[in-house]
Amino acid sequence: MAVNAARDLPKAVAAIAIVALAFLPMAKMPAFYESFIYLIFFWVSLSTSWALLSGFAGYFSLGHAAFFGVGVYATAALTTKFGVPFLMTVPIAAVLAALLAAGIGAVVFRLRRLRGELFALLTLAVTFVIATIILNTPIDGGGGVFMSAVPLPHLMPTQTGTIYILGFAMCVLTLATAWWVAHSRLGLGLFAIHDDEDVAEAKGVPTFRYKIAAFALSAAIAGAVGGIHAMYVGFITVAGTFELTVGLYVVLMSVLGGARHWLGPAIGATAITALLYAFISGGEAIMGRAIVGLILIAAILWLPDGVIPAIQGWLKRRRAAPVTTRAEVVPVVPTTAPQISERSILQVRGVTKRFGGLQALAGVDLDVREGEIFGLVGPNGSGKTTLINVISGFYPLTSGTITLDGAEIGRDPAHEIARRGVARTYQIPRPFVNMTVLDNVALCATFGGPARSQAEIRDEAMHWIGFTGLGGKEDVLPAGLNLHERKFLELARALAARPKLLLLDEVLSGLNPTEIDNAIRLVRAIRAQGATIIFVEHLMRAVVELSDRVAVLNEGKLFALGAPREVMRDPRVVSIYLGKAYAA
Amino acid sequence: MPSATLLGQALISGVLAGGMYGLLALGLSLSWGLLRLVNLSHFALAFLAAYLTYELGTTYHVAPWWAAAMIVPVMFLIGIAQHWLFDKFKVNELASLLITFSFAVILEVAIQLYWTADYRRFETHYSTMSIKAGPFYIPVLELALCMVAGVLAWGTWLWLRKTYVGKALRAAAEDADIAAAYGVDHKKLAYLLSGMGAAYAAIAGTFIALIATLAPTQIWAWLGVVFAVVIIGRLGNPLGALLAGMLIGASESIAMAVFEPAWAPVVSFSVLIAILLWDPEWL
Amino acid sequence: MNDRMGAWRRRHVLGGFIGLAALGAPAILRAAPSGQPVKVGGTLSLTGFLAQTAVIHKIAAEIMIEDINSRNGFLGRPVEYVLLDDQSKPDVARSLYEKLITVDKVDLIMGPYATAPILAAMGVAQRYGKVMIQSSMGIPNLQTYDMAFPATPFGPEPDKTYPNVILDAMASLPTPPKSMVIVTSKFPSAQFMAKGMRIEAEKRGVKVPLYLEYEAGNRDFGAIAARVKEANADFLWVGSLGLESNQLLEALRKLDYTPKTSFHLYPAPGPLALSPDGNLVWCSTFLEPDEPFMSRPGMKKIAELYKERATKANLPYAIIDAQAAGMVAAWQILEAGVNGAKTLEDKQIAAWLKKNVVTTVYGPTKFDGLYNHGEPAQLIRQVQDKQWKVVWPKQFVAPGVKLIPT
Repeated sequence: MAVNAARDLPKAVAAIAIVALAFLPMAKMPAFYESFIYLIFFWVSLSTSWALLSGFAGYFSLGHAAFFGVGVYATAALTTKFGVPFLMTVPIAAVLAALLAAGIGAVVFRLRRLRGELFALLTLAVTFVIATIILNTPIDGGGGVFMSAVPLPHLMPTQTGTIYILGFAMCVLTLATAWWVAHSRLGLGLFAIHDDEDVAEAKGVPTFRYKIAAFALSAAIAGAVGGIHAMYVGFITVAGTFELTVGLYVVLMSVLGGARHWLGPAIGATAITALLYAFISGGEAIMGRAIVGLILIAAILWLPDGVIPAIQGWLKRRRAAPVTTRAEVVPVVPTTAPQISERSILQVRGVTKRFGGLQALAGVDLDVREGEIFGLVGPNGSGKTTLINVISGFYPLTSGTITLDGAEIGRDPAHEIARRGVARTYQIPRPFVNMTVLDNVALCATFGGPARSQAEIRDEAMHWIGFTGLGGKEDVLPAGLNLHERKFLELARALAARPKLLLLDEVLSGLNPTEIDNAIRLVRAIRAQGATIIFVEHLMRAVVELSDRVAVLNEGKLFALGAPREVMRDPRVVSIYLGKAYAA
Repeated sequence: MPSATLLGQALISGVLAGGMYGLLALGLSLSWGLLRLVNLSHFALAFLAAYLTYELGTTYHVAPWWAAAMIVPVMFLIGIAQHWLFDKFKVNELASLLITFSFAVILEVAIQLYWTADYRRFETHYSTMSIKAGPFYIPVLELALCMVAGVLAWGTWLWLRKTYVGKALRAAAEDADIAAAYGVDHKKLAYLLSGMGAAYAAIAGTFIALIATLAPTQIWAWLGVVFAVVIIGRLGNPLGALLAGMLIGASESIAMAVFEPAWAPVVSFSVLIAILLWDPEWL
Repeated sequence: MNDRMGAWRRRHVLGGFIGLAALGAPAILRAAPSGQPVKVGGTLSLTGFLAQTAVIHKIAAEIMIEDINSRNGFLGRPVEYVLLDDQSKPDVARSLYEKLITVDKVDLIMGPYATAPILAAMGVAQRYGKVMIQSSMGIPNLQTYDMAFPATPFGPEPDKTYPNVILDAMASLPTPPKSMVIVTSKFPSAQFMAKGMRIEAEKRGVKVPLYLEYEAGNRDFGAIAARVKEANADFLWVGSLGLESNQLLEALRKLDYTPKTSFHLYPAPGPLALSPDGNLVWCSTFLEPDEPFMSRPGMKKIAELYKERATKANLPYAIIDAQAAGMVAAWQILEAGVNGAKTLEDKQIAAWLKKNVVTTVYGPTKFDGLYNHGEPAQLIRQVQDKQWKVVWPKQFVAPGVKLIPT
């Protein structure tokens, strides 16, 4: 009961706050308070919308003013030049801004390189281009747009009240959207993109689509906010609308509050807007600006992740014992005789991969049978990892075909391949660093496996955490794991996707002998559950012990194929390894 | 169609005016590329130096180069002090942007408190001198600016490319831990580099005082275009920054000579967008 | 535990007080006491990208309040100016006028400066039926509220009337210019005048071979100067703000070209007058500290006080001109309106102003025309010996001064 009450309290407070704020204009309080709170709504909506892409997915944009500005001018131009009713222009403003974002995204998000500062600069450049176009075309033309003659619907007794309620509705809608995104598949995918986009894609997150969706959603909200704000400002100029500091303040607000949390930007926006109004009196305005600057510097230095993460961290430390269910450690069952069918699950035909002048794969043919453990060995640079990367879709093929269960997958994007049941691990573990162990595994279950309910996904994740011996570490961040545990987290993540085909890239490297024994038992147990495994390994003891068949790659070509002991005894194979392999 | 003289003159003016973009981009590019710190207060420091040059010149009749000689060491120390803060708090790229934004606001206030927000103009006879070359005129001040920028960019480039210090810095920019393992004292070099960045801002500021408008809000006027220059010139590449500055300056100027001048920003930022999408090897 | 809660509460209560104090107690300018003060609220862009001229307006307002209070105040009560900073943002300006009217409950309001904040404030004034006097809006047709009054005599259609003042002055030259290059900033009020100039010039047979618009805040004028030089017209008309005129003239000098005669719309007056390139250039104005303006009531004292305060505030140009005079006139109009209508009721003040002539530093001013404007009185001044002298129209020219042809 007590737990329920504690959990419901925030909901009740939020509900009361929403109702109270909705009826505020009826309270006949001085219009200034409506205006002031409207401006808070305005900044909350704008900074929250920024965070949808930039905070959640880490695609940091300096050009949010572009989408806001498109909204402002959509409403300004449509109401004054075409007589469109104001309320109708707001959704149009949203759509136009969203289309612009989707268009930019469709070009930019295809280029893996355009991340980080390059994306930020690109958005900034787009802002300048759009501002200049509006300035020099009849949309504005340089004289500004005066909206005094545009009628405002009487939603509330006063004009300010009407704008207040629109801003309020927008703010609630924005926060609801942010909450929904943060708790949805989309949000989960975006958080994964933030941490490691390539891995997210390999785990089945349709990164391209998700980024465009987040960008369009973010822009749509900014556009609608702009549409409403045009009415509030009344006289629109290009210099005032596309002001550089708009984009910077949005970033500042989001980061101050905590850009990865749906409520973070709202807190930052409220704090900074209030702060900017703290020094409006004529005598202290100039010094006030400097004081605001100092406060912001201090806030960022001492709360680098923002207010909400700081509070969360504090709450976590304060709690005596975390109430979490521990995953049960599933005993690793000794395996029965393997069931290897004659049917090949994976067919690789004439696969080549070129990087500029370098031929990494020079025509590889392979058949992997359903249920087998297929070892892939070869000296450094022989193309093992490249082959894994090609099968999992990380690299596009140069030529050849790859067929999984009869379906051609060689040209599919990585997330499609993941959904078809191919999972992989990374030689150097690449966990999502801002997600707990549980979330890391749950994400892979969500995007990789069949469609399941939230509860089923959680159970599945818990099962594999237990299976890999990570029970008790569910709420730990990857930074809190040692190398051995991280390797096993890689395995748990791959297994949670219930793969038909599991690609293991040197899971044993860096482990001590006991850990290796554990891992070997684990791999056998995985196969016993019905997965086919291709594993790349340097450690020949493990290769010989585990594999049903072994393929040797050399200089991008299949060099030898057969039963492990025979292949390893092949003098040609020994010669390419120069005998080093057995010494290891 | 504009005449060849007009186009040639626009090209000369543009390239030389672009020297200012390059000079401002220089310090920014170094700290961004090699220290992963985006220093927005670079512009504020440049304007502080410009106002100091103005003050020394108008009140005490100090020649601009002597003014620069006095201001540069002070700015160098400010740069070091700034880096002390970043170092102490282990500030990352994004936080550095926001902190230096706030710092720039504080400097803007400081400038406004002493010099007011009203426009200032440092009147010297250099500002209108030019050399005649055939049908073209080459403005002397901008030429001097480009030469100074060229020397600084070239010198910094050589220093980074040829010496142990430069190699160490570049190694540290790639991976600070590995560099540390090879005995590179990244921290000391970072302080040196921050000081240099601020010193370059001071030199740019001296020229701003002679060439451009002085008003506190002008701090923000250069930001967009100089960011574009820093990126086009490749982060951490001083010669690239200068060349990119001249490229942007020239493209803006040609655009102003051929089209309606107000369209010029579209040209420079479209160049940036095109280069980002085109993905040339040097980026 | 209790202690901690106590400290927590103290901090919050304290924080709350600081917040409330900041929101509720703007700077109160000293007034001579004689009864309950009349509060007049207004904003200026003290910070932000319009802040260049804020201090000028602030000094002018302070001088005027002292001046008014040294006489009879408003209806015998002292005047108090409740001044807030709109941060150069129209949305902030709007909210602050709402604060002044609905929270601070000021008796009267005074307009801000620059078009965007003025229009933001005007909307609020209209909703609350307040008289708003503004000093500096260069696009009169935007002033759509019937209780808004302009303090500066642009006239209702300055884009038609003022170009003709310039064309008249041009025609008076020994060799009247036959062609004109127009270069303007895309700043709304400058572009508005430039468009009008082009139309009126062509109407009167002055050719416009080149008309250029540049982005407000343009950095490099080299290419524009090259085009101006190539067009080589008899007259150069520049729709400039701030230092843009200085920059364009310097860029022209670098090309070894000096325009025969040039006109500049709203430049920063000090730097242009002091520039070697500024000699004999023309510029718009409404008033200079010279005859006949100095003979206007109170003007001499105001000009002296302004010089003293502006120097003290470290302003680069400490001489009163149209910028400061606009604010002076705005307060003179408000004073006349209140004391003339003998009430603080906005409607009656507005009615009184529409019916009467108010004598300000700009001379007799009426508000009975279109957009509440009276007669235009935009003049031309010229830099002569590094000083601005009104040179046109002739009735405003000081004895011994004349338009010097170039």
